[in-house]
Amino acid sequence: MTSTTTPGPVVRTAFEQVLDPADVISDPVQCRAYECDGLTGYRVTPALVLLPRDAGQVAAAVRVCADLGVPFVARGAGTGLSGGALPVADGVVISLARLKRVLEVDPVDRRAVVEPGVTNLEITAAAAPYGLYYAPDPSSQQVCTIGGNVAENSGGAHCLKYGFTTNHVLSCEVVLADGSVVTLGADTGEQAGPDLRGVFLGSEGTLGITTKITVRLLRTPETVRTLLADFPSVAAAGDVVSDVVAAGIVPAAVEMMDTLAIEAAEEAVHAGYTLGVAAALVVELDGPAEECDVQFEQVKAICDKHGCTRLHIAASPEERAAIWRGRKAAFAAVGRISPDYFVQDGVVPRTRLAEVLDRIAAMGDAAGLRVANVFHAGDGNLHPLVLYSAAAGETERAEKLSGEIAELCVELGGSLSGEHGIGTDKACSMPKMFSEDDLAVMARVRAGFDPKGLCNPGKVLPTPRLCGERPGKYRPHPLEESGVIERL
Amino acid sequence: MTATALRPTDLRSVQDAVLDTTGPLAVAGTGTAAGWGGTLGPVDAELDTTGLTGVITHNPGDMTVAVRAGTPLRELAAELAPHGQYVAFDAARVADGATVGGLFATADAGPAALVHGSLRDLVIGVTVVLADGTVARSGGHVIKNVAGYDLAKLLHGSYGTLGVVAEVVLRLHPVPKASATLVVDRPLAEAAELAGLVLGGPYEPAALEWTSAGRLLLRVAGTERALPARVERLRELVGGTEADPWADPWAEHAALVRGDGTQAVLRIGVRPSRLPGVLAELPAVAVTAGLGTGVATVALDPAAVAGAHALVHAAGGTSALRSRPAAAVAPAWGPAPPAVGVLRAVKAELDPKGRFGPGRFDPWM
Repeated sequence: MTSTTTPGPVVRTAFEQVLDPADVISDPVQCRAYECDGLTGYRVTPALVLLPRDAGQVAAAVRVCADLGVPFVARGAGTGLSGGALPVADGVVISLARLKRVLEVDPVDRRAVVEPGVTNLEITAAAAPYGLYYAPDPSSQQVCTIGGNVAENSGGAHCLKYGFTTNHVLSCEVVLADGSVVTLGADTGEQAGPDLRGVFLGSEGTLGITTKITVRLLRTPETVRTLLADFPSVAAAGDVVSDVVAAGIVPAAVEMMDTLAIEAAEEAVHAGYTLGVAAALVVELDGPAEECDVQFEQVKAICDKHGCTRLHIAASPEERAAIWRGRKAAFAAVGRISPDYFVQDGVVPRTRLAEVLDRIAAMGDAAGLRVANVFHAGDGNLHPLVLYSAAAGETERAEKLSGEIAELCVELGGSLSGEHGIGTDKACSMPKMFSEDDLAVMARVRAGFDPKGLCNPGKVLPTPRLCGERPGKYRPHPLEESGVIERL
Repeated sequence: MTATALRPTDLRSVQDAVLDTTGPLAVAGTGTAAGWGGTLGPVDAELDTTGLTGVITHNPGDMTVAVRAGTPLRELAAELAPHGQYVAFDAARVADGATVGGLFATADAGPAALVHGSLRDLVIGVTVVLADGTVARSGGHVIKNVAGYDLAKLLHGSYGTLGVVAEVVLRLHPVPKASATLVVDRPLAEAAELAGLVLGGPYEPAALEWTSAGRLLLRVAGTERALPARVERLRELVGGTEADPWADPWAEHAALVRGDGTQAVLRIGVRPSRLPGVLAELPAVAVTAGLGTGVATVALDPAAVAGAHALVHAAGGTSALRSRPAAAVAPAWGPAPPAVGVLRAVKAELDPKGRFGPGRFDPWM
C-alpha cells in the first residue's frame, strides 16, 4: 500500500511533552544503534528514537506521531531476521526495551501477563517455579522479546507439536496507529466475533504496537526423550521423518542438519555431533512417561530400519542440552566456516524435502556458492545458509541465490517464510506467493487498522518505492534539503 | 420478499453469485447454526454452500487437507479416516452434518479444544470472496507459514459478515490409536477441584468437561500399550469409572451443548478459575463446562440472556447467543468489545456497502 500522508517534520519537542526529554534520543550516533535489526544488510538511521517507560507513554508517543503524521517503527530486542524493525528515515523508532515487567503469573489458570520487552525465556523462567513453561521457543529465545514474537508469530523447534505464538497468546493490549488503546482477544481461546487478535499476531508491527500480552502456559512435560541419529544420506533421514509421521507419532521436535552445518556447529560448541556424516537428525518426544517410552522405541526402530550409522540417546538433561546446543548454535557457527552468510526461512510441504534439498544443492553449485542446511524437518521449514565472502565480491550472487531459494519453496507449494517474517527482506517476493488481489485485500485490512499508513510502513506488503529500487543509504527529504524542516 | 437462492459449486461460481447480485446477502450451509448470532436482517439473496463440497487436495504425508467450505465435516472425516488422520475438532453439531465453513464462521468448538483449540488453531489457509467479487487467499498449504496477514483468523467467527469463505486448508492430526473416558460423578465445585489436580499433573487429558448431569468427563488418548496405565494413574487420582464404550457419555454432553429447543443456548468463556463461580450465578437449566478451557455452554430462559451477558462480561469474559426458541427475543452479543472500532473499520474496508450478513453482529457492527 502507499502511505497517504507526507511525513511531517520530526519535532523533538512534541515528544518531550509526553516523555522524559532524556528518553527522546536524537543524537545521530546514538540513533545509529537502532539503524538495523538482525538483518544487517539493510540500514536506515531514524530521525528519533523514543524510549517510553510504560504503556501510557507508548500510547502518548503514538498520538504525537498520529498528530504530526510521523511514521513509527516498534522495536523489541532487534533480533528479527527480516528487517521488520528497520527504521523509516523520516520516522521514529519506539523501543519497548523498558517495558519489561512480568505483571502476573497465574499457576491456576496457567497464564502469564507480561510487557512486550520481556524476553521469551524470562516468561518460562517466571513460570518454572510452578512447573509451567511458555511453549514457543525461537532459537533466539534468550534475547528475543515477546513483543517481537507477537509481531512475527514466532515459532521454534517445538512448534510442530505445540503450535506457534498465535496458538499461545490469548489477548494483547494494543496501541493503534491513532494512539488509542484497545484489547484484542479475551481470557479464553474461544472468543466472540471475528478474531482480531489472530490477524494482529504475525502482522509484523504494521497494525499497532502491543504493550501487554496474556500468554498461555503449559505444564512442563513429565518425560522428555531426545536422540541424535546419523544417516548416510539426507534422503534416509527424510524417510525416517516420513515413517515417524506415518506411525501416528507427533514428536515434540524433529530437526535435521547436513554435513556443512554439523561441521560448523561442532567447531563452535563441540556438542558431540559426528563430523563428515551426511545428515544428523534430532528427534525429541515428550509427554506422559508411558506414552513417551512406547513411542521412543518405535522411533529408534525406524532409525535402524533406514540405516542409521550412530544413535546417541541423551542419558541426562546435560546430554540433551548438549544436543540442542549444537543444533541452536548452527546459525552463528556458520560464521566459523564462512566470512559471511545469508539465512533463508522458506517452507516446503514436508514430503518435498528431499527434492528441495537436491535443487538447492544444484543451485548452489551453479552459483559457485556453498549452502549449509539446518532445518525443522517435521514441518518442512528450511533454514538454508548461503555462504559467501563479501570481500571476494560474492554478495550480490549470494543474495540472488538466497532469494531464489525462498521463491523455489513457493514454487513447490510452500511459503516464503516459516518464522522469520517478510519484513523488508522479502516484501518484494510476496507477489511470487500471493496475487495482486490477495495483497490488495491485506492492504485493506491494514487500512482498517491504520488508515494513514504510519505504522511500520514499507514492511510485509510490497510497495513500488521499495521494490522498484534497491535499498540504498539515506537521502535527505526534499523539504529537508530546501530547509523547510530539519533533522534533529 | 423471498430471497433468491444461489447454489455455487466451485470458487468461480461463488464469485459469480456474489457479482450477479447487488443487495444484502446471507451465507448458509446445512443450517445447523442458522439461528445463531444476531437475527439476520432482510436479504435479497441467500448463498447456499451445500453444493460447494469436496476435498481439493489431501496429501497424507503432509497431514494437510484443502476442502471446499460447504463440505460437511463428518464427510471429510470419513475420507480422512482410512489414512489414520482427522481434523482434531469435535463440536457437537459435526454429527448433525455441519459444514467446515459453517463451523469455522461461527467459531464453534468441542471438548477437544482443551488440546487442539478451535478451527482457528487448525486452519492454515483460506480463500474468501468479498462483497465486490474479489477473491483473496491467505496462508497456504504448509503448517508453518508467517507470510502475509493471517486473514483466516479474521474470518473465524465472522458469521459470514466479512466475506464468503469458499475454501479452507486445515492441519490434520493422527487419529489416536486408543482412547478412554473416565466418568466421575461430582457436583461442579468438587469437579473443578479435581480438574485442577488433573491439569496440574502430568496426565495430559485429551478433554475435560463437566455436565449438569453432575458428571466430570475425562478423556485420555494415546497408544494402545500406554493407555491402560495412564487411565489407571488418573483413576487413582480422581476415582470414577471407565465409561462403557456403548453408552458414550460424550453423546450426552453433545446433546446438552445443542440444547433441546425450549431454552436459549448461550456460549460463554471466562478465565477457567472463575467459571464455577459464574455458572453458579447464572439461572442455567443445563450446562456443559470446559473446566480447563473456561468455555461453557449454558441453556437458560431467553429472558435471562441479557443478564447473563452482563454477568459474564463483568467477570471479564466473552459470550455469544446460539440457538433460541423461535419466538424468543434476546440479545445475541454482550457489550461491544473495546476494539469494536477496528472491527467496524475492517468491515467498512472489506464490505463497504454492508452486503454480507446484515444484523448478525447487531449492535456491534
